[in-house]
Amino acid sequence: MTAVKHAYDTFIHETGGWVASQLEACTRCGMCAEACHFYQATGNPEYAPVWKVELLRRAYEQRFTLVGGFKKMIGIEKEITDEDLSHWSELNYHACTVCNKCSMVCPMGIDLGSLLHGVRAGLAAADAVPADLMAAVNKQVKEGSPLGMTDSVWDQRLEWVADEWEVDIPRDVKGADTMVVFSSIEVMKFPTNVAAIAKVLNKAGEKWTVSSKAREIVNFGFYQGSEENTKLFLTRVLEGAKELGVKRIVVTECGHAYDALRWHGANWLPEANDFEIIHITGVLGELIGSGRIKIKPGAFDGNGTITFHDACKIQRKGGHIQEPRDILNVLAPNSFKEMTPNREESVCCGGGGGVIAVKAADEPRYAAFQLKIDQVNTVGAKTVAMTCSNCRLQFTDGVDHFKLDWKVAGLAQMVADALVE
Amino acid sequence: MNPQAMLEFARGPFFYAALLFMIFGLAYRVFTVVALGWSKDRVPNKGSKASGVVKTYLKALLIWPFIPWVKNTFDRNPLIYIGGGLFHLSLFVVVILGTPHMLVWKSLSGLSWATLPLPIVDWTAAVGIIAMIMLLINRRINPVLRLISGPAEYLSWLFVFLPMVTGYMMTHHLWLPYENLYALHMLSVDVMMIWIPLSRISHFVFYFFARTIHGAEFGKRGVAV
Repeated sequence: MTAVKHAYDTFIHETGGWVASQLEACTRCGMCAEACHFYQATGNPEYAPVWKVELLRRAYEQRFTLVGGFKKMIGIEKEITDEDLSHWSELNYHACTVCNKCSMVCPMGIDLGSLLHGVRAGLAAADAVPADLMAAVNKQVKEGSPLGMTDSVWDQRLEWVADEWEVDIPRDVKGADTMVVFSSIEVMKFPTNVAAIAKVLNKAGEKWTVSSKAREIVNFGFYQGSEENTKLFLTRVLEGAKELGVKRIVVTECGHAYDALRWHGANWLPEANDFEIIHITGVLGELIGSGRIKIKPGAFDGNGTITFHDACKIQRKGGHIQEPRDILNVLAPNSFKEMTPNREESVCCGGGGGVIAVKAADEPRYAAFQLKIDQVNTVGAKTVAMTCSNCRLQFTDGVDHFKLDWKVAGLAQMVADALVE
Repeated sequence: MNPQAMLEFARGPFFYAALLFMIFGLAYRVFTVVALGWSKDRVPNKGSKASGVVKTYLKALLIWPFIPWVKNTFDRNPLIYIGGGLFHLSLFVVVILGTPHMLVWKSLSGLSWATLPLPIVDWTAAVGIIAMIMLLINRRINPVLRLISGPAEYLSWLFVFLPMVTGYMMTHHLWLPYENLYALHMLSVDVMMIWIPLSRISHFVFYFFARTIHGAEFGKRGVAV
């Protein structure tokens, strides 16, 4: 019963008035299910967000409310069991990307994303996290990166990127204004993104650097739901920034890492407020808007329709909704078309929240991706642009799995390719 | 107990006891929730929390209830939007703009206001009753609603449905003598008031927490609510 006790303790620790008042507001209308891409794709009622937060609700009501205590006493409500933990582990880590679309349709406005994160916290405390996700977390604890980007791999990769694309990547420069922290997904799988961002910042004359200490922005502790690990990985980034004395931290094309650092960081680690924290999408918007870099209008016109995929953590939860549109309207004024729904109401890619790292989640993940396929096919797009490497990983995998003929493009890369020399 | 005595009890001591139970019960629930504490949000805003809150209330109170099809989930479960919307509309019209109910409010608060003609209120009440039946059927058919509904959900439905249906019968003098119906109506209202703080019907209080949090969360990120 120790796992169950850890889960209860964490659920209770997570449940301040902020969480409790939202749990109390739920009318059990089931509307959230209709917003969930996993429910839409599979029809499995257990994928309803309200059901995914069931354990958190049970823990709260049993421990904090008279009615919950009474229901437990007469047996309508059961204590959480080990079986419950493993069952809800599947519901939450296999079929939820914590994309928060559900909160957009809740008639009460409940911020379900935060509650779902609370459920993960309890499951993480009870060691009820899928083994492959946990392996990645442990790898990040030990090696500094879930994708095996150790000190020496980091050195080699950066040297190779700098050589291959003939681009200067300033490293560990004390007194730089901006520290850029890449995700290992980019460094290891989409290296052109690293070169592209370097090219853009150099062109803008930005005093920037990367840090060997703060070399990984990915935060698998945040996927896991463990406060301890999340803080550990955030601390590495903040310490790197402090060491170099930078003013701002730029998070590259990684969604959940941006969510963790920008929107939660200071609540865990107040020193996060010593820095301005911004996503690369915001930086691109700024540089183009102020004329510090110029991009060639229409550079991407003429190769079929281009659409933009909104990432849950960068657009819906991050607020960088307008910049990509402004940029694409310059790059491809004639061929940029929106999917429906879009912007803050967009459909999630299905691979976020660590889902893509869990092999057993392949089935719901591919099912959810089919909603995205329908959306892209409806606008007839040949290229899908996006600002999140995790989405991009899901898209490239999906394109491969379903044998689609789309191009998947990172926005930073497109900007770099269209720079006016 | 004869119907007259029953009525006196249901609209007299039992009514006031139930009303007090409801008020203190809800106050207790709010107090226990607030007492759990609120941690300070130290994250700097991108947009404005206040403007997010204002916008979300405007949308949720003035737009979505009246044109729910602007929500892109509308098509996926229109029954719940239409049924839920009509039920709440009926509730507000009957309980606030129906003359007999206004008089109850007046006796409690001293305030009075113009009411709607009986036929309008009556038809709205009928719509509300039909909406409630639709919602119950939907709750039994929809796989998600079946999964998340326990005894409490069905009791909530029943304790709201009884005052509606007895009120309607009273207005139309259906089946039973008027006094019996009146007594039943008052009894069911009393039971409902006792049930409210024990159940999720209390969402009308916690709604304001959730909606405010929603507006603040989206507003601070500069995202449309």
